[in-house]
Amino acid sequence: MVGRRNRHRVRGARDDIRTPGIAVTQVLVDSLLRTAQVSLLSVGLTLVYSLLRFPNFAHVEFAVVGGYVALLFSATLGLPLLPSIVLAVLIAGACGVLMDRAVFARLRDTTPILMMIASFGLGIAMRATVRLAWGASPRSYGLGLQSPVHFLDATITPVQIWILVVAAASMLGFYLLLNFTRLGIAMRATADNAGLASSSGIYTERVIGTVWFLGAAFAGLGGVLIGLDTQLFPRMGFGIIIPVFAAAILGGIGNPYGAVAGALVIGLAENVGLAINWQPLLGLFGHTGGPAYIPTNWRAAIPFSILILVLLVRPQGLFGERKS
Amino acid sequence: MIDFLVYLFTIIGIWGILALSLNVQFGFTGLVNLGHIVFFMLGAYVSAILVILAGMPFLVGVLGATVAAGLFGGLMALPTAQLQQDYWAISTLAAAEIVRIFFLNTTLGGPYIGASFGISGIPQPLRDAFASPAAYGWFYFAIVAVALAGSYFFVRWLTATPFGRALKAIREGDEVPLALGKDARSLRVRAMIVGGALGGLAGALFAHFNAYIAPNYFLPLETFIVWAMVILGGAGNHKGVLVGAVVIEALYNSTRFLAAHVGFIDPGTLASLRMIVIGLLITGVVMYMPRGLMPEPRRRYGARNAADGR
Repeated sequence: MVGRRNRHRVRGARDDIRTPGIAVTQVLVDSLLRTAQVSLLSVGLTLVYSLLRFPNFAHVEFAVVGGYVALLFSATLGLPLLPSIVLAVLIAGACGVLMDRAVFARLRDTTPILMMIASFGLGIAMRATVRLAWGASPRSYGLGLQSPVHFLDATITPVQIWILVVAAASMLGFYLLLNFTRLGIAMRATADNAGLASSSGIYTERVIGTVWFLGAAFAGLGGVLIGLDTQLFPRMGFGIIIPVFAAAILGGIGNPYGAVAGALVIGLAENVGLAINWQPLLGLFGHTGGPAYIPTNWRAAIPFSILILVLLVRPQGLFGERKS
Repeated sequence: MIDFLVYLFTIIGIWGILALSLNVQFGFTGLVNLGHIVFFMLGAYVSAILVILAGMPFLVGVLGATVAAGLFGGLMALPTAQLQQDYWAISTLAAAEIVRIFFLNTTLGGPYIGASFGISGIPQPLRDAFASPAAYGWFYFAIVAVALAGSYFFVRWLTATPFGRALKAIREGDEVPLALGKDARSLRVRAMIVGGALGGLAGALFAHFNAYIAPNYFLPLETFIVWAMVILGGAGNHKGVLVGAVVIEALYNSTRFLAAHVGFIDPGTLASLRMIVIGLLITGVVMYMPRGLMPEPRRRYGARNAADGR
């Protein structure tokens, strides 16, 4: 939870939200930043799920790998930040392919439960490896103090603007890939019916490899963006796992657009939920006193609660159709 | 050295009970509960609260912990028992974290009790009757050994009953038990209650052994440690999961022991190394011997004395 706390310190504007005049734009900016980070991870999770039908608990660790490899190239080896990030994203993607070839390719014929447990084990090992190499204390890219830009009552740093732009561009690129390339069509066909795709001449194993690469690379980019916004620490991946899973399930697991929409819902819920004065609602139950806000400490409980609610009410996701 | 071994086996006993309880849920009923630590946490907190804040005796605390955790198991399963396995798994992870966040943000009976401060000074039963900590270590080990033996014979008996066989049928898919008129949902809820209660018992024993509990003792990682025991030992085999508990806890606690002897590696590195070993061990077991060190005995029909496998 170290990261969460620092997040607020970095943003700085958190206290303003609590004052009577709520900066709606600030809440929106915070929500979009969270959406950018969560969606990059949930898209990959949902893609792998759509092909292999198991929730990969190690997926969030690609974010850790991406974030720390970028740190390795930039801070340790002295490369400029931009090429470091590109290299880190490629390496995270390669790790995804490696993980599939080394472990999950051999588990294709087993049950989803076994693959899930294997992924949990791999996640632990990856997290511990990062901790072994870089230590448990938080690290940062050392961008220095950012002078914030004021924009319609909201405060946003230039880096945060870049985060939003990069995430939006990635999602657009992914949309184009999925809809207008042969590879995208092959991916959708394999997700829909692997057997049929295979007999139609699609080399499904190659499609699966590509999906692992893309998913892990997106997650690696997400990790870099989290590191740019706040800090890097070995548990940053596992710390975000519930929002990521919640976003994927919210959008109907296996549906990449749904995962982005789900991330938006999570991002908004976390920030709007904290900014709302719940007094009018509580007043209905006889609660008196001043304005009632959800304490910031409870922020982490919001995606957890949404996740359980969605699973109870619409397990197929907000946009998914129930499969028989 | 001998004190360390007594400590280690007490811990193994406590976690053995936890592994047995997860085995009822996963090994027998096929429930992928990724929030199992929540029962341990509830058991520890409920017993500590009953004994410290309400002034109840140790046994009432342990009993209350068992009942409370069992009830929570039922509560957790009631609305979610019809979910698909993977969705169910994630919902249990979320439920456990919600409870942890609740304890992390709630003070109990004073500004510095509960929340992130944890609860300290949890009374140890009959502590004053023993002069030295070492003698008391043996005594508490005996308590844990009795509880472990009781739990072991209980789950062994339970899984040999028709109820236990119905649980196993659920594990293999809903169709057959449904066709035989078994209510799959109710069986899942009952498996969660039994597993939850045993987990609560283990938690209460841990709280009074350690004399201190805090929310960061109950991170999702701990659930994974229990999973490692069950998978390594052999899901569905009571003896197997106990063997798993011995191996995993020995590995997990080895750093405490090794750190004193291997001077050139610092404790932080050792801690990371042991988690890498445990993580890879589990992945390897899933890949190369998915049924564990001691696979579940398969009942062979037609063979003589087929039933006495377990």
